[in-house]
Amino acid sequence: MSEIKKIHDLLTSKQISCKELTEKYLKSIESDNGELNAYVNVTADEAFAQAEKVDAKLSKGEDIGLLEGVPMTVKDNISTKGVETTCCSKILTGYKPIYNATVWEKLENDGAVMLGKANMDEFAMGSSCETSYFGGATNPFNTKHCAGGSSGGVASAVGGNIAAYGLGSDTGGSIRQPASFCGMVGLKPTYGAVSRYGLIAYASSLDQIGPIAKTVEDVSIIYDAISDYDPKDSTSQGRQGGMTFDKVNNDIKGMKIGIAREYLEGVRDDVKEAVLNAVKVYESLGAEVIYFDMPALKFALPVYYIIACAEASSNLGRYDGIRYGFKTEHYNGTHDMMCRTRSEGFGAEVKRRILLGTYVLSAGYYDAYYKKAQNLRGTIVKAFDDAFTKCDFILAPTVPMTAFEMGHAVSDPIETYLTDICTVPVNIAGLPAVSVPCGFNDKGMPIGMQLIGNKFSEATILNAANAYEKAAPENFKETKWGVKL
Amino acid sequence: MVTREDVENIAILSKLFVAEDELDDLTKQMQEIVEFADAINNAPDSGEEFDNINNLSNVFREDVVVESLPSEEILKNAPEQAEDHFLVRNHN
Repeated sequence: MSEIKKIHDLLTSKQISCKELTEKYLKSIESDNGELNAYVNVTADEAFAQAEKVDAKLSKGEDIGLLEGVPMTVKDNISTKGVETTCCSKILTGYKPIYNATVWEKLENDGAVMLGKANMDEFAMGSSCETSYFGGATNPFNTKHCAGGSSGGVASAVGGNIAAYGLGSDTGGSIRQPASFCGMVGLKPTYGAVSRYGLIAYASSLDQIGPIAKTVEDVSIIYDAISDYDPKDSTSQGRQGGMTFDKVNNDIKGMKIGIAREYLEGVRDDVKEAVLNAVKVYESLGAEVIYFDMPALKFALPVYYIIACAEASSNLGRYDGIRYGFKTEHYNGTHDMMCRTRSEGFGAEVKRRILLGTYVLSAGYYDAYYKKAQNLRGTIVKAFDDAFTKCDFILAPTVPMTAFEMGHAVSDPIETYLTDICTVPVNIAGLPAVSVPCGFNDKGMPIGMQLIGNKFSEATILNAANAYEKAAPENFKETKWGVKL
Repeated sequence: MVTREDVENIAILSKLFVAEDELDDLTKQMQEIVEFADAINNAPDSGEEFDNINNLSNVFREDVVVESLPSEEILKNAPEQAEDHFLVRNHN
């Protein structure tokens, strides 16, 4: 059952007050966050203030919205007015935004209770959450493993029951991959469906905010609440095709599922088996499966890293030690001050990506790398356009493996890049995709699959994901951590 | 081929210092990443153009003056400020 609805029922039936509920979550954070490291900043005062407002409404017998009073978390790259927002980087320590990201403005107005800011890879650059200045978040299914990244803190908090849901961001898989690693549901919306205003930029043409939650219904509720046209984001288009929540319980009989063979290449056997079992579940529900090739996907990973790093090198140029965040102590001249500030403030992975981005944009290399990558981006977009003439959505593994052990990802950066192979094409083409748990390996670690839809077809993929959730509930497991409702 | 000099040059453009003892490792890593990125040069040129993902053009807002963020609020996050300005000292 939807976690949000469950909490809503508890609050409206007065079985628990919002203050008591908030206390429960904060206590669990106190006892469990030491090991999960999901939160980098706990905002108890703000949470209680919001809870009080909800309780006041309830005591007056007023109706409350579905998200009102539900305790949640926000990734640390989403601006929250007056609450430190660091992107888990030393360079932004102490930075308190003076405005809210549109997504948080919306949820705060809906009465959401933010418990704190969630851990992430520094500037969302990483696949294990371990490039965080505050150390990585661990996996609630086994804390020797990482939570994934970059929205690892959100996935760990939701999987560990120390938040009912959370907002993450997805540039190359950063919502779907940790959701998959932690056995959660994560939605990367269509580019432009959710406002990026107030999301601290990594790669602006790829970044998109979205929810991580326990069930597909939860994700649908949150998506409906945050997707909207926003004049403050010039790439905003808003939710198109109406709300999704009233469309997630439809029959999927006759639906056409596409499988691009490239997505199954190099995928570990246990993951492949779980994904193909999910295909069988869909067939038993009356869906039709079509196999095809998408050769353009072979180039998706280098295209992604070239474009993402190029945009990052430009976006991260703003950290100069003058306007916000960390500044070096001793220097000689402004150039020296900026170089020292940036060299001391950024971690190794961020520096690597800035350097690569600067390299591919520099004279002599621009045509061979950046321009060529943009050209191939067009090819990949077209390949998906063609695919969606044949099927309603594409089913693929989310990650070719299960959660890495802590420390593994940082030891070999390029090998880690390769693990983003299944997630990056969606960002390149601006498509929506939802990651859904579809099994466990022999060590009990969760496996995820993603349903990829055409632009603005969130309702279609969420409906199909919900049909699977109802048919295979055994893949949605609780962990030992946190609040037991 | 990425050389030490390339990395030193890119670092200057990126406003980053690379310590002498980090330079060899970083050059090697950059070389590996660039080799990995070189895969795209094996791709056939499809002639597909790409501008922006949702083919948006001329995104204008109404020409109406809206309130800006107050400068005293903005300056609160600055490491140093003076007289309603960001303060940048030449030496420290």
